[in-house]
Amino acid sequence: MLELRDLSVRYGAVRALEGVSLQAAPGGITAILGANGAGKSSLMRAVSGIAPVAAGQVLLDGQDITALPPPARARLGVAHAMEGRRLFRQLTVEDNLKLAWSFGARRGKLAASLAEVYARFPILETKARIAAGLLSGGQQQMLILSCTTIRSPRFLLLDEPSLGLAPIIVQQIYGFITDYAAQSGIVVIIAEQMATLALRVSRQGLVLRRGRVVLAGAGEELLRGKDGKTLAASYL
Amino acid sequence: MDDFFFSLLLAGISVGAVYALIALGLNLTFWTTKTLNFGQGSLMMLCAMLTVFLSSQGLAIALAVLGSLAVVAALGMFIERWTVRPALQSSGGSMGWVVSTLGFGIFLQGMAAKYFGSQAVAFPDVVFTAQDFVTVFGQYISLQYLVVLAVAVALILAFELFIRRTVWGQAVHAVSLDPELALVQGIPVRRLILGSFMLSSVLAGVAGVLIAQIGGTVDPAFGFDLVLLGFVAAVLGGMGSSLGALAGGLLVGVISKLVGGYVSTAAEHGIAFALLMLALAVRPQGLFGRPEVSKA
Repeated sequence: MLELRDLSVRYGAVRALEGVSLQAAPGGITAILGANGAGKSSLMRAVSGIAPVAAGQVLLDGQDITALPPPARARLGVAHAMEGRRLFRQLTVEDNLKLAWSFGARRGKLAASLAEVYARFPILETKARIAAGLLSGGQQQMLILSCTTIRSPRFLLLDEPSLGLAPIIVQQIYGFITDYAAQSGIVVIIAEQMATLALRVSRQGLVLRRGRVVLAGAGEELLRGKDGKTLAASYL
Repeated sequence: MDDFFFSLLLAGISVGAVYALIALGLNLTFWTTKTLNFGQGSLMMLCAMLTVFLSSQGLAIALAVLGSLAVVAALGMFIERWTVRPALQSSGGSMGWVVSTLGFGIFLQGMAAKYFGSQAVAFPDVVFTAQDFVTVFGQYISLQYLVVLAVAVALILAFELFIRRTVWGQAVHAVSLDPELALVQGIPVRRLILGSFMLSSVLAGVAGVLIAQIGGTVDPAFGFDLVLLGFVAAVLGGMGSSLGALAGGLLVGVISKLVGGYVSTAAEHGIAFALLMLALAVRPQGLFGRPEVSKA
């Protein structure tokens, strides 16, 4: 269980997140929706420990981790795919995977974990010795997903996994995410601008606007509209 | 090839290998924090002075060297914690670390002058004396130079293996590329930075002992221009490139010794900085510096 209690994030005078609460149970996807600058990334960065938390708490399975540094949170099972397709671009595909595995939970041997990744995304094996920065956008996103899942996470945070990708690739990526969430039974949180895409696979959703929650509910509910408010209206 | 040229060449290569060690130390902290410890020179000096002091107290020379290296390693951690970290934390992206590391170096130099005296003292022979030599193809080769060369090259190789083959070396590389990503991937960045300053200081200490061995004496001012030569080597080879550090070190060493031998020893340092300016004008990324490869 991942829980946020009245969480506020501030960068100097800029208020990125104001009093946001959330409970995300294992075995389902939570969608964080909203326009640019609504606070989606700040919410995720507060969970993985790289955003300055001004007030409130972050709890993992009831343990307050608000004061823990990022590496300690990573060891507790938080895996964060940051926005902008962040990879070690000059390192090879395989070195990226090795690093992610080495500082992760390390269930099983490296060779077995790599084989698993390559079986799922064969293109990554073909490009194993190529610098990650030279992959196509879709391949980079596959590598990022593999880097986060090879760590055997318990809390998976994905920031805009569809950004800048062709629709067919987006389908493939979302297919992988839903399968992984169903099989692993962990907490998965997706920040997404393409609201309907994310809500279709999510158990619950949260719409942010200027750092505050303006709409929250079950995925189905938000798709249809809730309390007379439609999804589109909450963006405006 | 006459004797004089050959002896200058060997001296240049040996000294150059030591410059390469200094450059590697500078590279290491540059990777983890994008900062350089300009107090490296004082650490070189202190390590050599402490070795002289400890051995004069009756300690075996090997133990004296190890003890001095331990002190220098501890100072390296102190420098990270108290001169670099506060400078980096104050108002983002400041260059305060240049002044604070240099200042701490000057402080160490002053302390050494106060407690060990500002006179040059003779450095004890570690393995061979200045008179030991072997003859190869009719050329006299100083054994001290050979030992210095062997130790420097062995350390450079060990360092390279560590960086390339171990997961911690890869982690250092990762921190240099994207510190934030390294953090969320669970790499203990803080400890890695502390370790990089420690290791960098040890490299400086070893370089100090090796140079003192060649020169025969140490004084508190020793090391200050040496670290500048190591810096020239690092920039010439390409800041952050290990191969570049080695090539830059050898180039600076050999050229400055040849100029010193044939023109004037007073021109040794001048020519090194002329090289630096030439390199910055013609090839600013250095001999082995690589432009970033990326696709949007």
